[in-house]
Amino acid sequence: MEYLSASEPLTSNPEIPNSKPAAVLQTEAPKTENFQDSIVRLSSLAELPQPSPKQNRQAELRIFLSTFFTIFLAELGDKTQVTTLLMSAESHAPWVVFAGAGTALVATSLIGVWLGCWLAKRVSARTLETATGGLLLLVSVLLLWDVVHL
Amino acid sequence: MDWNLLGLSFVMVFISELGDKSQLAAIALSGSSKSLRAVFLGSSAALLLASFLGVVLGEGVSHLLPLQFVKAIAAIGFAGMGLRLLWPVEAP
Repeated sequence: MEYLSASEPLTSNPEIPNSKPAAVLQTEAPKTENFQDSIVRLSSLAELPQPSPKQNRQAELRIFLSTFFTIFLAELGDKTQVTTLLMSAESHAPWVVFAGAGTALVATSLIGVWLGCWLAKRVSARTLETATGGLLLLVSVLLLWDVVHL
Repeated sequence: MDWNLLGLSFVMVFISELGDKSQLAAIALSGSSKSLRAVFLGSSAALLLASFLGVVLGEGVSHLLPLQFVKAIAAIGFAGMGLRLLWPVEAP
């Protein structure tokens, strides 16, 4: 009966079919049951449904989305956007302005990412975390400044 | 294709965006996260979409969106990310 309660968190995982953990548990049933064994078995089973490439992709997607939304919200109504809309209104050629502004923005973010990567190689992880935390707080203060003076 | 206008808009946006807060954010995020590609793609996509909206909507963007509210949300997001990075340093 102890096996059943131990298998509960596993069968609740949608990635594992119900029969699979039960089969594993059955083959291991003759073993003496001590707590450490079951912990090891549970942890090794828990790793099965999450292969590392998938985890990496999920982490990448999370980084992509958090970067995208914060920068997008920060950039809305910013002076760059005002510049592009004024230029496109003046010139009556919005797509040319968009192409120029777009390549400039991709270039500046490429430079930013490259600078961050370069710094990350030179500075210790602890210092870098403090510095980037401070930098992000500075960005949020700049944004709040915009909010007050908009 | 008006190459003059293309070059002008490139130079203007490039100079105004150098050292701006979105680039600071890109530096900070790429320094702290493991996937540079994700940070680069995320920030490029966000900037492209923001300037695309600027071109398409024109002046309407400030009427359609409560910009103060949107920027306050962004500020909270950045503050949250910054505090999350600073927190383990302050609490050993």
